[in-house]
Amino acid sequence: MRLTRWHLLPLALIALPSLAASGAPLAIGAKAPMRETTMKCVGGSDTSIASAAGKNGTLVIFMCNHCPWVKAWQTRIAAIGNAALDQGVGVIAINPNDPAAYPEDDFDTMVARAHQLGFKFCYAVDATSEIATSFGASHTPEAFLFDASGKLVYHGAVDDNAKDESAVKHPWLKQAVSAVAKGKPVSDAETKAMGCSIKFRAPRSS
Amino acid sequence: MTGLSRSMLAAIAIAVALAGCGSDGSGRAEHSVPPLAASGPVVPVTADGIHQLVARPGARATIVNVWAAWCAPCREEFPALLSAARARRDAGLRLVLVSADWDDQLPAVRAFLAGHGVADTTYLKSGDEQQFINGLSPRWSGSLPATFVYDARGRLVDQWEGMADEQRFTSAVDRTLAAAHP
Repeated sequence: MRLTRWHLLPLALIALPSLAASGAPLAIGAKAPMRETTMKCVGGSDTSIASAAGKNGTLVIFMCNHCPWVKAWQTRIAAIGNAALDQGVGVIAINPNDPAAYPEDDFDTMVARAHQLGFKFCYAVDATSEIATSFGASHTPEAFLFDASGKLVYHGAVDDNAKDESAVKHPWLKQAVSAVAKGKPVSDAETKAMGCSIKFRAPRSS
Repeated sequence: MTGLSRSMLAAIAIAVALAGCGSDGSGRAEHSVPPLAASGPVVPVTADGIHQLVARPGARATIVNVWAAWCAPCREEFPALLSAARARRDAGLRLVLVSADWDDQLPAVRAFLAGHGVADTTYLKSGDEQQFINGLSPRWSGSLPATFVYDARGRLVDQWEGMADEQRFTSAVDRTLAAAHP
């Protein structure tokens, strides 16, 4: 195939598209969607965001088993999540990935991973990926932290250095959880880091 | 060396010889056959560095793809990306490949690039990650793979996250090439 500018000129009639963006994530101040939707927890019980909520707030973190970025952060996720529970902040980790795309993201591996990491909180399956979709989540790991009134006060990364915990300068999520537990404002409400794109399950036909 | 391994190497050599995708932003046609199983230089780059690359004269459009060697959808879309870019090189498309891997993954990065016949300069994300993401686009979440299309003046005109097929690459690039002044 060899294209020249002259071959392409007719396409100039087609307007340049607006910058594409996938579903926008929840805005700061928004309430958690699909709070009552039940998910299967690694312990075998059903849970929901509502049932995981704490008196001081709720941390929802989308994660999975296969992603190297999740693996780099997973011990920190466990530590932050377990500490959050002690501070009255409820925690639920949610795996939205389709295990057909990533076999390592299957339920049995979730069970083993939660045990290995010592999660004291539920690691649940978003069996339709609809919860991740409703949050506008795009990748793993991606954290959404709600305050005691249920408003989103933090969205983003665990911290600023997945590779080297000793080099972390900004422990964003840990600080946000601590602030929420104390009823204080979160200083860095939106942060970013790279991660693995969520492999959403195909929408169910009606 | 067995007959099988010789034939495999021959097939790779042919693929490499047919590849030669100009990804260094120079706009030069690359006719030399790169060494077997060798990628070009992988140069650290910040978001500012990418802005300079895409604004450099000599291209009518630039496509920047941020990928990682461990990232399955990145690997899966790579052949379609290269195919679209190679077919449009003579029409003025510049390809900038940016690995988001960590430094210790460089051998895997080089092996992957070499396996796809990418012998020109490519790039490795450098510096503060959040600044890199927002520097490329505040609308990028950080999810990989991520693709950005720039016009001849280095203005961002399209972007998306996640795996794309060749149609997605070609439609975005062809619109940008067509909109460029002759």
